[in-house]
Amino acid sequence: MVSTELPPLARAESLLELADFDEVVRLYRPRIFRFLMASLGDRDLAESLTQDCFLKAYTARHQFRGDSSLATWLTRIALNLVRDHLRSRRMRFWQKTRDTALDIVDVSDWIPDAACSPEETCLQQERVREIWRSVEKLSRQQRTVFLLRFVEEMELSEIAETTGMNTSTVKSHLYRALRVVRERVLGKPEGEQ
Amino acid sequence: MNKHPEQLRDTLSPHEVLLEPSGQFGQDLKNFRAAVHRAAGRQTSQPVPFGWLNAAKRRQRRAQHRVMLAWATAAACAALLFAGTLPLMHHPKAPVTVQVHQSPNEDTALLEQVDTAVSESVPSSLAPLQTLDNGTLDDWNTTTSTNKETPLSKPEKKNVSQ
Repeated sequence: MVSTELPPLARAESLLELADFDEVVRLYRPRIFRFLMASLGDRDLAESLTQDCFLKAYTARHQFRGDSSLATWLTRIALNLVRDHLRSRRMRFWQKTRDTALDIVDVSDWIPDAACSPEETCLQQERVREIWRSVEKLSRQQRTVFLLRFVEEMELSEIAETTGMNTSTVKSHLYRALRVVRERVLGKPEGEQ
Repeated sequence: MNKHPEQLRDTLSPHEVLLEPSGQFGQDLKNFRAAVHRAAGRQTSQPVPFGWLNAAKRRQRRAQHRVMLAWATAAACAALLFAGTLPLMHHPKAPVTVQVHQSPNEDTALLEQVDTAVSESVPSSLAPLQTLDNGTLDDWNTTTSTNKETPLSKPEKKNVSQ
């Protein structure tokens, strides 16, 4: 089992950091919003759940003992909110959802390497769109693990701590998610690059 | 906390290397990450507005009210259902018993009907016995007070009643 204990100094820093909640919001809002937006594919919903996440964190700030980093704690709250939202959306299946759904063209319209030729840029954009489409097709757990690893760049142990899974389970979900995404983007399984 | 995937690759086992894609697919994942960061950054680049959490507080209050309303509705429905079934619980339906009321008139009418259907006329060869029976019956009754039935009339009555 991975130890989630932070060293005393880091714990004190986390607790001190939480004392100035405005600063916490300023620092971690982009990260939480990004994760929620990528998980749900909806800007407005992600904004609402980001607010809910920080409100919950503010309400429960006295329960935070500093055993994990603040980022992990906030991400865990966000993850629970996503799960609750998806569950309630399944219950309210008759309602039209995703009115403000994120347009994958909007997401993939920018490629950092400006030195690419127009053809290469188009190809890269199309691949980003394919990754986005395939991420939407993943199961909830696979998508969560994939996004935490490749968007938030968290380590496997951090993902395990955030999601409450074993590290081996995280690896398993990540492996399956990668296989699905790779097959969709490159059209072939791993090892055949 | 955030090691770059390329740095992390050196510390991974061969199986875990598969979790750190390289080459074209690795580059695609980097582009995907950059695209998501950029899309999210557009919205979070502005400073947090004053009272940003008020909307969340309002939503939380509304959600609490909805939950309370749902519980109140459920309790009211349960109470109505209970009140509706209460009379049935206290006054159980009496078992239906078939009671055949037969009046004495119906009995006698039925017996007469049976009597006429079953009884036969006395054959002509036995007619003297019948007259004898009728004639001696009165005498017999007067002489024997204990036995009221004649030996002759008894089997005939039996026949008649059969």
